[in-house]
Amino acid sequence: MLTVLLVDDDPEFTDVACTIIEFLGHEVLTAGNLQEARDWLEKEQFDHVLLDFMLPDGSGVHLFEELDQLAKRPRVTLITGHPSVRGIIKGLCGPNIDYLVKPIQREEIEAVLEGKKSSKGTGGSNIKKHFGHLIGESAQMKELYKLIERVSRTSANVMLLGESGVGKEVVAESIHEASEVEGPYVATNCGAFSKELIGSELFGHEKGAFTGAVGRKSGVFEQAEGGTLFLDEITEMPIDMQPNLLRVLENKVVIRVGGTKTIPVACRVVSATNRTMEEIAESKVLREDIYFRLAVFPITIPPLRERKEDIPLLATYFIDELNKENDTRFEWDESQLDMLTAYDWPGNVRELRHFVHRAAIMSDPDKTELELPKTIESPFAKKQSTTPALQAGRTIEDVEKELIYATLEKVNGNKTLAAEMLGISTKTLYNRLHAYGDLSKEE
Amino acid sequence: MNEKEFSIVTAHVHDARKPLNRISMQAELVKMALQGEVPVDRALTALDKIIASTKDCSEQLTHMVDILGNSITE
Repeated sequence: MLTVLLVDDDPEFTDVACTIIEFLGHEVLTAGNLQEARDWLEKEQFDHVLLDFMLPDGSGVHLFEELDQLAKRPRVTLITGHPSVRGIIKGLCGPNIDYLVKPIQREEIEAVLEGKKSSKGTGGSNIKKHFGHLIGESAQMKELYKLIERVSRTSANVMLLGESGVGKEVVAESIHEASEVEGPYVATNCGAFSKELIGSELFGHEKGAFTGAVGRKSGVFEQAEGGTLFLDEITEMPIDMQPNLLRVLENKVVIRVGGTKTIPVACRVVSATNRTMEEIAESKVLREDIYFRLAVFPITIPPLRERKEDIPLLATYFIDELNKENDTRFEWDESQLDMLTAYDWPGNVRELRHFVHRAAIMSDPDKTELELPKTIESPFAKKQSTTPALQAGRTIEDVEKELIYATLEKVNGNKTLAAEMLGISTKTLYNRLHAYGDLSKEE
Repeated sequence: MNEKEFSIVTAHVHDARKPLNRISMQAELVKMALQGEVPVDRALTALDKIIASTKDCSEQLTHMVDILGNSITE
């Protein structure tokens, strides 16, 4: 049973919403404005706050600071009237916020209180989302789904390995979803905190434990009680903090920073890193004992270039989502999907999503055609053209020609510079270009 | 549509969502009553409230059209 605070200024809505929430087995209190909400937060401890975005005395977002100060920060679901507000709030408050868009339905309330994303509202696209999150029908993804299903039946800790942008957090959420546990999904990034603060983030702190600790705060282990804790970038955690983490993993109890009381904790830990197992072993960024505690069940998520058949599916899903958000009707044509499939996507699904987003911004919103740039530019790309990757079966001449043109493009056609970069003489470069028929005899 | 007209429409659409949200929630209550999850008399009250909210919503739209009409003749 959860204790819920419902903050909304429409008494008719709150009246019915309370009936539904109570029927779902939770306790609910209501506030009609920010001030009433603040009063309740002083008196009571809540597990979940359903918060209207527009209240008579200000925006619901103003309550965030106070919620952060609480010993146990409740989960927050913002109620908005317009789907576009979602994007703005996401930018302001980060990804760990749920939303309800009016008009609201019972199953949406049920879903947010259970910590699951509602299947409603993500409709529009017919693309299947495995475990409510994952898209892809390739053999590699099917293997991944099998692993998620197997591990979800156990309480084993999971370590996710994979390049940046492959969707480690999405896989973590899928494991949580598949596990059907009662507790919430809580995510934190071990690389985002200083050595001084990571202890407080993970284990919580007592009031006065250090300068700035104005109140008691529970750590993510406590918050994820009965659920799933996702520790992203685990290998970026300071090595001297790792013994403390080991103690929690072994003894299943935490002691808040500045405290003495042991608090029992029970949650599955899903950790993630973009380093390979070999790198972890060689670089010694993670203690061996911690590794074995966290990686009871290691899962490697394939990079996008190894499951290229999923690219059209993902690109279609992303554009469907953008269409829904912005009320547009963009569609891919086959040649564009071929172009996307040919590219290697070194930044993986994240890079593809950003590329689709950029294309949607660049295109005329009144048309269905998407305008794509001629090349896919990425500062992280090993290969910046949309031509197919180096493949067996191509001739050396072909590859040489492609390299010469790519280099010329990079230096804006400056042949001296290009020759220098290619490690050949300017004369050789000219000879090659003559042979390709790109230069007149006078040049 | 100019900027002023757009902001009029935006404000009214926002106000019209309130009765729409009430309709949605009251309809959920009716469903619960039909499934025996809450007393049946709550369904009757909910249906009356749905009718009232549809009228509210209609009024909001009429009001918006009137204001927009005035703004165009100005």
